Amino acid sequence: MSKLRNVAIVGFAQAPIVAENPHRTAPEMLYPVVRQALANANVERKDIDYQCAGSSDYVDGRAFSFSQVMEVMGAWPPVQDSHVEMDAAWAAHLVWVKMQAEECDAAIVAGFGKVSEGSPMHVLNLQLDPFYHASLGLDHVSTSALQASAYMAKSGVDDAGLAQVAARNRAAGAKNPDTQLRQAVSAAELQKTPFVTSPLREGYLPPIGETATCLVLAAEGKAEKMCDRPVWIHGVDHRIEFQTIGARDLTSSASTKLAAKNAFEMAGVKGVNDAQVVELGSTTPAEELILRDALGLPSGLGGTSGGPVVNPSGSPLCANPLMNTGLLRLAEGFRQLSGRAGERGVAGAKRAVVHASGGHCLQQNIVWVLGTERRWT
Amino acid sequence: MSRAVAVVGVGQTHHNSKLPDVNVPEMVRIAVDRALLDAGLSHEDIDAIVLGKAPDPLEGIMQPEQYLAGALGAHMKPIIRVHTAGSVGCTTALTAATHVASGLYGRVLTVAFEKQSEGNAMWALSPNYAFTPPMVAGAGGFFAPYCRAYIMRSGAPSHIGAVVAANARENAARNEYAHLRDPMSVEDVLASPMLWDPIRFLETCPSSDGAIAIVMANEELAKKGPRKPAWLKAGATFTEPMYVPGRDQVSPLAGRTCAKFVYEKAGIKDPWNEIQVAEFYVPFSWYEPMWLENLGFAPLNEGWKAVDRGDQKFGRHLPVNPSGGVLNTNPIGASGMLRFGEAALQVMGRAGEHQVPGVKTALGHAYGGGAQYFSIAILGTEL
Repeated sequence: MSKLRNVAIVGFAQAPIVAENPHRTAPEMLYPVVRQALANANVERKDIDYQCAGSSDYVDGRAFSFSQVMEVMGAWPPVQDSHVEMDAAWAAHLVWVKMQAEECDAAIVAGFGKVSEGSPMHVLNLQLDPFYHASLGLDHVSTSALQASAYMAKSGVDDAGLAQVAARNRAAGAKNPDTQLRQAVSAAELQKTPFVTSPLREGYLPPIGETATCLVLAAEGKAEKMCDRPVWIHGVDHRIEFQTIGARDLTSSASTKLAAKNAFEMAGVKGVNDAQVVELGSTTPAEELILRDALGLPSGLGGTSGGPVVNPSGSPLCANPLMNTGLLRLAEGFRQLSGRAGERGVAGAKRAVVHASGGHCLQQNIVWVLGTERRWT
Repeated sequence: MSRAVAVVGVGQTHHNSKLPDVNVPEMVRIAVDRALLDAGLSHEDIDAIVLGKAPDPLEGIMQPEQYLAGALGAHMKPIIRVHTAGSVGCTTALTAATHVASGLYGRVLTVAFEKQSEGNAMWALSPNYAFTPPMVAGAGGFFAPYCRAYIMRSGAPSHIGAVVAANARENAARNEYAHLRDPMSVEDVLASPMLWDPIRFLETCPSSDGAIAIVMANEELAKKGPRKPAWLKAGATFTEPMYVPGRDQVSPLAGRTCAKFVYEKAGIKDPWNEIQVAEFYVPFSWYEPMWLENLGFAPLNEGWKAVDRGDQKFGRHLPVNPSGGVLNTNPIGASGMLRFGEAALQVMGRAGEHQVPGVKTALGHAYGGGAQYFSIAILGTEL
């Protein structure tokens, strides 16, 4: 791998993740978050030379939703700007590419989505093939349930296994003051919750939530001045698969596997076990197990067996604010490696592997490798 | 940009109010296949894909890059989806260029589309803004006051808009891919019904179905291609908020800033004399003189004089929109990339009947939102 530009995460802020914030519009939620992120990075808006947001018109229930946040992102006088209709984790990736092209040095990445103003079940149905999938009324829970069934049939993991994965995430979430569900619940209790769509129970699914997020990225030379402990990007790659659910093996994630291979190679690491922390964008226990397989992690069922700590944040099972979920994974990597993870901080963590996902059944995946030291010298 | 970026292939569908024989993936695939064919490449040669389109509610498919992954040949590749309102087509192309300039991707396929016949643009383009009464007037109702303000402050005579529209149609007649190509005189335009004063029916863009795809490559790979590429000399996107006290909606600062930025990068001091062809995003006729001023081709309030002299006609000093422009072809999300693509074709000398002779430098431009989002690319024959 040729030498790339060292780029670091130097600041992050988020709004509390809640089921519904009835008192604030999306821009109103985002404004204090942008200000806080800039303050955390010890800079003013004028010190930032690029901005990129990730959001969805359908989530917000209006066309051109992103144009509402120009005021609160500080786009006056006019600024260099872009927007992806994707989780803000991909906005962060675009900024990183932009920095590799030496087109910017310091950037803010914003995520927002006013989930409570719409119906996620109906909205996420519209991602699917309009002829063969969407018209069946499938939503993200039913497609995830098909995937979980397929995985259980293949792996032999049973209901108790899913409950165990969910319980571990809920226990982690109880130590994360920034997530939505903050009560530990035992596997036995989760296993008593009703099925939403079999085999997925209420206790195996994320709550509905909304927030706004802002991440600050900077290239070497600026990053050191913006953060006491910048977290450097060592490697990253993202890949998509065909959407057609019947045309791919739902029990594995080939795109995660390939993205991870490329990200590890860029980072100069052998594999996931070179990291002390792994944060996955898994929205069901089955997704976590599939992603663990793809990354080369043990299933974690039947007790931990050493290796990296997985999902210290509690994962999206404790908070899944659409369009922000992926960026929150990156934020967890930053918090863990920069000593900002409080009680849940993994002691001595020097490297983190972070994953985020888009679409139904892990269709699109991005894998980052982060580190406390610069990658390229 | 740290590394040189070239356009090595351009492909588009024929555009029409309804392409009833194709669905969205099929329509997009036609453009992709044509671009790859043009570049002498196949899907295996593509390292990443950048997709752009305007609001998802126009077709009713959310984040369609997921549904279209197969049609775009994106399986097991990186793909991202850009959305920056009307400017998105040009911004998407520039995002692909950034991917190449980063050195991470050798060849990038960029695609933009809209299938307006599958939705209702008037509805989708009438969003509710917080604390603002809904206008439900679509883009025309939104931009008409800006055009009216331009007329009042520049003193432009009322026939200018009709002259622009008739000229654009004359240009579109030379472009086999254009949506509207029937002959239309200035008198026809003036006789057409007033939709949103001062914008008449024939001064308004159509709703189109269509797609465009472009292949970009780094210097080494571009030079291996079958024919001469178009080099990206400079490109940038600038945005400003809707609500700024004293914001100039007629000649927005973001447009002026963006133009200044790309001219500096491309070493252009006098755009009127150093650029041989320009493709502006003109969805309503009056925007042609407005952009001539905003982008520095004419002094403030004098853009209409260039139109009145006919300086922007095909065969004259600075042909504007030789493709026929947005006024005659408007698959919204693709409209900005069509400007970029036409600029590239002009530079490559491959624009067919609408080729402007001797083009060395061309400009492609798009704007969007409430005249807030600006995207400009300068393409040239030399690296």
